Amino acid sequence: MIVGHVAPTMPGDQLYVFGLAHRHANWASTRQAAIAGNIANADTPGYRARDIAAFETEMAATRLQMAATRSQHLELTQSQMQAEDVDKAGAWEVTHSSNTVSLDEQLMKADETARSHQLDMSVIGTFHRMLLTSVSFR
Amino acid sequence: MSADPLAMVSRIAGAGLEAQSYRLRVVSENIANAQSTGGTEGADPYRRKTVVFGAELDRELGALTVEVKRTAVDDTPFTVEYDPGHPAANAQGEVKMPNVNLLVEMADMREANLSYEANLQMMKRARSMVSMTIDLLRSGS
Repeated sequence: MIVGHVAPTMPGDQLYVFGLAHRHANWASTRQAAIAGNIANADTPGYRARDIAAFETEMAATRLQMAATRSQHLELTQSQMQAEDVDKAGAWEVTHSSNTVSLDEQLMKADETARSHQLDMSVIGTFHRMLLTSVSFR
Repeated sequence: MSADPLAMVSRIAGAGLEAQSYRLRVVSENIANAQSTGGTEGADPYRRKTVVFGAELDRELGALTVEVKRTAVDDTPFTVEYDPGHPAANAQGEVKMPNVNLLVEMADMREANLSYEANLQMMKRARSMVSMTIDLLRSGS
């Protein structure tokens, strides 16, 4: 064994799990922000419900951030760049004011997202404990 | 640099809470004035108020929050009651009563209540997500 040799982080490496869980937690909190916007606008006439892309497509795609070259340019955040309108077929209900937010649907999505975030946190905690076990001398 | 999404959730839900509580305020105003007639002969009574919400882009957050765009008035015609002795009665003895329908107000109140609760749930959920993240530090030590 070569002393001082550091193996590169590869998929399948334990540390890769941390990166993945971190990205997924980031995705979950961004989605939660999109859902909060929908719920806040549940009674806004003409508002279209928004959702962010699924994590799987998020993983596959590499996104480029637009650069702000003038002071008037709006810097688009992660959630804005990804938020997309849910089409009529995807929404649970459309009210007379053409608002496509369904509170039940949004709360269900929020629950789902919070659960997956909890999973991420458990994964990070468990792997962290595992690493601590390997470095502790107790 | 974008804001922390979970902090954004609280701000957005907070804007929702504020908008819904304003709506509830207007509803109670309508109910309180359901019998407010005019004081002089043939005068118009209280006109029902409605709230118009609009999605608002918060530049600081970079997300859509909600705000009350304006309070409009309901222009449905007044109901007329026959009461010759009333100070607001016209020559035919008719008094215009406010166009407030208590059933509609109750329905509006329930809806505002529901939306308020939904916003509150989002806030609670974001809080628990943040506390779970902080708990990572606690269990690791």
